[in-house]
Amino acid sequence: MTTPGTFIRLLRTVFYMTLALISIAAFISIGMFFVAVQDLPRVPEPLRRIIETPPTEIYAATGERLMVIGGREVVPLSKVSTHFIQAVLATEDHRFWEHHGVDKLRTLKALWVTLFEPGRIEGASTITQQLSKNLFFSFKRSYMRKFRELLVALQIESQYSKREILEAYINQIPMGVGAHGIEQASQAFFGKQALELTLAESALLAGLPKSPTRYNPYLHYDRARERQRVVLSRMAAVGYITRAQADSASRDALNLRRPPSGALTGSYFLDMVVRSLEERYGPDVIYHGGLKVTTTLDPQLQTWAVESLQEGLARLEKMLGVYEQAKHGAFREVIRPQGALVGIETNSGAVKAMVGGRNYGETEYNRAVQNNRLPGSGFKPFLYYTAFEKLGMNPATVFLDRPVTVPVIGAEDWTPENFGLKHEGPMILKKALVRSVNSVAAQLVERTGPEEVIRTARRCGIKSHLEPVYSLALGTSGVSPLEMASSFATFANGGIRHGPFWIWRVEDALGRVLEEHIVSGERSLDASIVYQVVDLMRGVVDEGTGSVIRRLGFDLPAAGKTGTTDGYYDAWFTGFTPTLSTSVWVGYDQGEGLRDIQGRGITGGRGAAPIWANFMIKATQGEPPREFAIPPDIRFETVNPVTGRAANESTPNPMRIALREGQSLYSDTLEDEIPYNSETETSQVAR
Amino acid sequence: MDWSEPRNVKEWARRAIALRPLVLVLLIFAILISELRFDWLEQALGSYLVTTNTKRPESGAIWELGHRTITARQTLEQLITDRQSSQREARGATTFTQIASNLPPGQGVMLSSEHFRELYLTLPQGIAHKIVSSFELLRLFSNGRWVRTYLENEDYGFKIYLLNSENRVLRELRIPSDLLHQIRRVEIALEGTLEDMPTFENRVYPADRFFRAMESLPEEDLRSVISHPERLLGMPGRIVRVGISDEAVSGYIELGFEIDDGTRRRVILLPGREWAVWSLRSFLEEKGQESNHAPSSQGNETQK
Repeated sequence: MTTPGTFIRLLRTVFYMTLALISIAAFISIGMFFVAVQDLPRVPEPLRRIIETPPTEIYAATGERLMVIGGREVVPLSKVSTHFIQAVLATEDHRFWEHHGVDKLRTLKALWVTLFEPGRIEGASTITQQLSKNLFFSFKRSYMRKFRELLVALQIESQYSKREILEAYINQIPMGVGAHGIEQASQAFFGKQALELTLAESALLAGLPKSPTRYNPYLHYDRARERQRVVLSRMAAVGYITRAQADSASRDALNLRRPPSGALTGSYFLDMVVRSLEERYGPDVIYHGGLKVTTTLDPQLQTWAVESLQEGLARLEKMLGVYEQAKHGAFREVIRPQGALVGIETNSGAVKAMVGGRNYGETEYNRAVQNNRLPGSGFKPFLYYTAFEKLGMNPATVFLDRPVTVPVIGAEDWTPENFGLKHEGPMILKKALVRSVNSVAAQLVERTGPEEVIRTARRCGIKSHLEPVYSLALGTSGVSPLEMASSFATFANGGIRHGPFWIWRVEDALGRVLEEHIVSGERSLDASIVYQVVDLMRGVVDEGTGSVIRRLGFDLPAAGKTGTTDGYYDAWFTGFTPTLSTSVWVGYDQGEGLRDIQGRGITGGRGAAPIWANFMIKATQGEPPREFAIPPDIRFETVNPVTGRAANESTPNPMRIALREGQSLYSDTLEDEIPYNSETETSQVAR
Repeated sequence: MDWSEPRNVKEWARRAIALRPLVLVLLIFAILISELRFDWLEQALGSYLVTTNTKRPESGAIWELGHRTITARQTLEQLITDRQSSQREARGATTFTQIASNLPPGQGVMLSSEHFRELYLTLPQGIAHKIVSSFELLRLFSNGRWVRTYLENEDYGFKIYLLNSENRVLRELRIPSDLLHQIRRVEIALEGTLEDMPTFENRVYPADRFFRAMESLPEEDLRSVISHPERLLGMPGRIVRVGISDEAVSGYIELGFEIDDGTRRRVILLPGREWAVWSLRSFLEEKGQESNHAPSSQGNETQK
């Protein structure tokens, strides 16, 4: 066969094969079209109708809006900065005004790059295709999904004007930090309306849709600025702006708004609120129904709570030597201590401030509510109340601080140790609580029984599981800071218990009330006995294990109790004024005790009480000193803290104690000084 | 026409540049260029899809969102409707019994302090006093802090919170089930006659004899026997007989007033102060002995 003949035959074969391939492709396309069209989603009329959903708005008690969940508010193109529209068009689809849903030249280019430039994949989706994908399709990659997305885009182009399409697009694009659409993004990042955006701001925001997390300016500022420069460069290339304008805008400082409280400071609290709402109304109502929720949060107190905890944790880290480790380049690997703080209004139970950890962005685990940690001696006020109520004891009852072993049926004897491993001999109960003496607490719980102590704790509002063992008196059953703050509020409130709550009122979008909280207290403890315990706890703050609070400058009447657990795993301080009860916990999330660089353990007084003081100084600033209400049957005596007898001028370190009607001092049986004898039976002294 | 394979390139070129293939190529190019320029294929497909739009399913992310919004709105609307309907019924209620019968367990309604006061005033003194003293209410009402009242239907009866403008409880009251039952008995006219109530056995008197005996009591004691004569006056029909219970509860004795409205008989129960009722009974017994037989409007209206 001749060469031309072969050539012609080859050419013919190629021609027929191409024809066949085109036919097959055409048949497949037609087949795919009919398959895809069968369950193609319906496009709504008008397009903006289904983008609009009412938001659930969460407000602080002061009326400040804290958070918006869901909800899309459509802004017309006329209310959006031209810079932003141009930036979006330049970056996402510069031939938007020319094509009919598909940019064929760009598609061919993308196909070429994908096929012939290994390792590179270029997208060619137009704004209409992106809108189609965002509105109707999942992000699962498949050819059929892509094809259907294309068909819907074609329909959208036929059904709506370019302005309507662009408006729908910019109102629904996810922009990060929970913002959907340009108006929400503009408010979230710059605290202004979309119409007011400058060129630099517009370019920054227009760069976000590619990857809202990756280019989040709060988390990755430099990367976001780099993306902004790319957008500006595209705008210049397309001709919307000059190169000089692009350069100038890329140098402009960005006045980013502080991260919204919804993303950081209030989030532990807001998480709790949202969870409660979900339990009551179900997720659909919360995310799509549009509620108006008024919470109990006081934003100012919340800010101070966050600041106090963060400052306290920074100080704690210094003590622990975390910064020393950081200097050696190991900061990221170092486990940092955590903390929690809850502030509750005593006469209502309203949670005014709550911080569940050092940084919500790092961990969403709410240690203020979900973390059941051992309260240590912080539990003793329940024990002392029980002893006063059930055994008729009073703050001047004398006990011996001595080594104690409590036999436990079916288990090993319980031998609690004092914090300093020393014993001081006889002392009144007030001194025992002020100094947090464990041996006296052990003797008390042996007499009251753990069940009675649990009953008292329950009456105060502790809901966590409490193990009925003697060591309960020293706080060996886990409780949350919320429970501690709430139960101590019962003491602050003279024995009237208000359950903690965080939602004042829930309304629908039209303002119709769904629920409102009623502040109802219940007398759960005897007012006079409560006052006696409060008086003991005042001693803790004024001269005991929590006296750091006074040294730090908190001078209002206050009562509280420190708590430290074995191994220094937990450090607590829970205290209150007549109006505000606050609990602070610090510790590691897992497996490590708090020890400073010298190896000394960090107690509640060192770790948590300064945070409490810092917060309470700010939270009560400007408040006049207000005393705890004294029940009419209470009288005061000044006694010898060793003998419990009335003090005279020569008595060293006398203590003022509160007695109820019918209670008297032990002046008739005890000598002024009882020499310490560890063999002495407690029963000879205490009665 | 028979087709033969071109024998050489010249032949092949001659055939390729002929009119027909050129027209064909030009046609193909024209189609391609016009598509690139005018997007007619996309427009045709788009237009076709617009015509089928209404027949297609409401599926996809945004429709799901829309459906969820609709479900959420319906749920909210139901909650609001239930609440508003309880609230509306409570606002229209003139007695505690009406509120109790319309309020499902576990739910509550908010009333104004004035409305609660009106409801309270409909109660016989004895029962009202068991809920809260009228002096206490007066005190709360006069200091202006009591603005609303929340009534909650609980397992054991009613819980009532007298609230200030901040929703803080000024006073918490309870109406236990037995007291509520008592209120019901007082507020509702019971169908039947006094014979149906064993508590009045042997203590049923004709109405005229009863009221004649009432005349013997000093004026200031009359309200102690019948605390709410307005309630009896407001009933359609005529009182034909009066029964006195044989049981005193917390200083009160129940009186049963049998009313005949021409078509049926009903009994209204009202509590009277124990001492006043006893004093009335002694007059009734005396009158009974004097007249020995009282006139009656019906055959069975004699003392049993």
